Amino acid sequence: MKRSTLFPMLLYPTLLCPMLVALVLCSAPPLASAAKVGAAAPDFTGTASTGKTFRLSDYRGKYVVLEWHNNGCPFVRKQYNSGNMQQLQKHWTSQGVVWFTILSSAPGKQGYATAPEENDYLAKMQAAPTAALLDPAGEIGHLYDAKTSPQMVVINPQGVVIYDGAIDDKPTTDLNDVPGATNYVSLALQQAMAGKQVETPATRPYGCSVKYADATH
Amino acid sequence: MCIETKMRWRSPNSTFYRGLACGAALLLSAASAQAEGTPIPHGTLELIAESQWIEKREVAAGQKFDVGLRFQLEKGWHIYWVNPGDSGEPPRVEWRLPSGLTAGAVEWPTPRRLEGSSSIVDYGYEDAVLLIVPMHADPKLAAEQATQIGADVKLLVCSHDMCIPGKAQLSLTLPIESHVSAPYSRYADLFAATRQSFPHPAPTTWRFSVADLNDSFVLTANFGHKITDHQITQAGFFPLAESQIENAASQKLQPAAGGFQLTLRKSDRLLKPIARLKGVLVLSTDHSHANHSHSDQAYLIDVPVSKAGAVRNNSGNGAH
Repeated sequence: MKRSTLFPMLLYPTLLCPMLVALVLCSAPPLASAAKVGAAAPDFTGTASTGKTFRLSDYRGKYVVLEWHNNGCPFVRKQYNSGNMQQLQKHWTSQGVVWFTILSSAPGKQGYATAPEENDYLAKMQAAPTAALLDPAGEIGHLYDAKTSPQMVVINPQGVVIYDGAIDDKPTTDLNDVPGATNYVSLALQQAMAGKQVETPATRPYGCSVKYADATH
Repeated sequence: MCIETKMRWRSPNSTFYRGLACGAALLLSAASAQAEGTPIPHGTLELIAESQWIEKREVAAGQKFDVGLRFQLEKGWHIYWVNPGDSGEPPRVEWRLPSGLTAGAVEWPTPRRLEGSSSIVDYGYEDAVLLIVPMHADPKLAAEQATQIGADVKLLVCSHDMCIPGKAQLSLTLPIESHVSAPYSRYADLFAATRQSFPHPAPTTWRFSVADLNDSFVLTANFGHKITDHQITQAGFFPLAESQIENAASQKLQPAAGGFQLTLRKSDRLLKPIARLKGVLVLSTDHSHANHSHSDQAYLIDVPVSKAGAVRNNSGNGAH
């Protein structure tokens, strides 16, 4: 099922604002937050660091995890330096879950990486997502209204968002806080796979703000 | 530059909230020439006290005294309010105190709205800020010569382009003495200016209510009778709890009988109804007979939320 939600998002700042100098629309941020818990996950096509393209809707029938990434963000480093994120990636992809790491940092900002840089990073950190999608224009990020790294989204086999928010319940940069934390992604996947209601479907996605390209309007 | 009364309508964020903290920020930077703080990423942090010493008789009487965490940041860098908004985390402090001394909660000055991008809005402080913390002393402490206060601070310092974690170990020795002269330190003015930037309880005659609509909360303020000089030109609400409102959404201000209405878009992450809306309401008023140009006022409000329809009868008192 092809959705065209991305299109108006792109049109919004670039076309509408120069035309309507009437300010209201331009000064208001784009809030067509398409990714709402309980609603259909907006479709996207992303280019991976390997050069391969991935389309979300091709994975209908599987659980999909989206992980917003910024390798310089101290909250992300906590997850990677402790090995926790890699462990989650390995565990859940071995259970048939599709895992997309998404880099929405703009060039020149913290967390931006070229394809070779990201491939080096993935190898060095022994990360194991299905793919790391390069999103320097922030298209996928804005489509999901991603606010932070590491913001996490879980999509069920029917293509519905069942979790959106923080990776866990410890909003710190301290490695020592990883072991005792309740991981919301694992919890959502476990509960959904067991046919249960996801208890905590939305949390504040703590972390660094996604370093999007500066607004042009 | 701080005396900015003409608010730009189009982009409230850039100028509107600056006025409030501006006085304190000027004082902070004026005093910065002589102070050496502990380095933190892109700035310094210092543990300071309002007084040079603590008065023995005040300790014996069980009175509190104030210390403060004084942040000074390079241009373009910020730290976060108690509710950081869409991203970031507020500074966290662990106190190392002698027995007989306990630290109260951080008193947060009115924050600024920080726009990371068009869809991300955080709440925090740029340039400089003093976080005041009251210390409560056991009267027995009056027998001591001095008291040692230690603070381990963890914080996140961000610019629009990156975030860096920081840590600082701070300490301060305060003599406990009896003096005839006033004990004020060189920081006394800074403490006073910072208190000026705290949100205050709203006048008890004001009435607030909050209606819970489908996708928004409508905050209605009524100033009571015969108020003609309260022409609200700008209003901004900072929620104390996270994930209640969409931080990046513009807050629509509309005049209403005897006051105004402010529409706050609900957060997509708010999946359950809330009982109260609590936070800081910043109002910019256009006084026809203003005696000085500074006209932003910050109020702490705590208003029960009612389902739309039952609003009129519910007059939540802003006093707190």
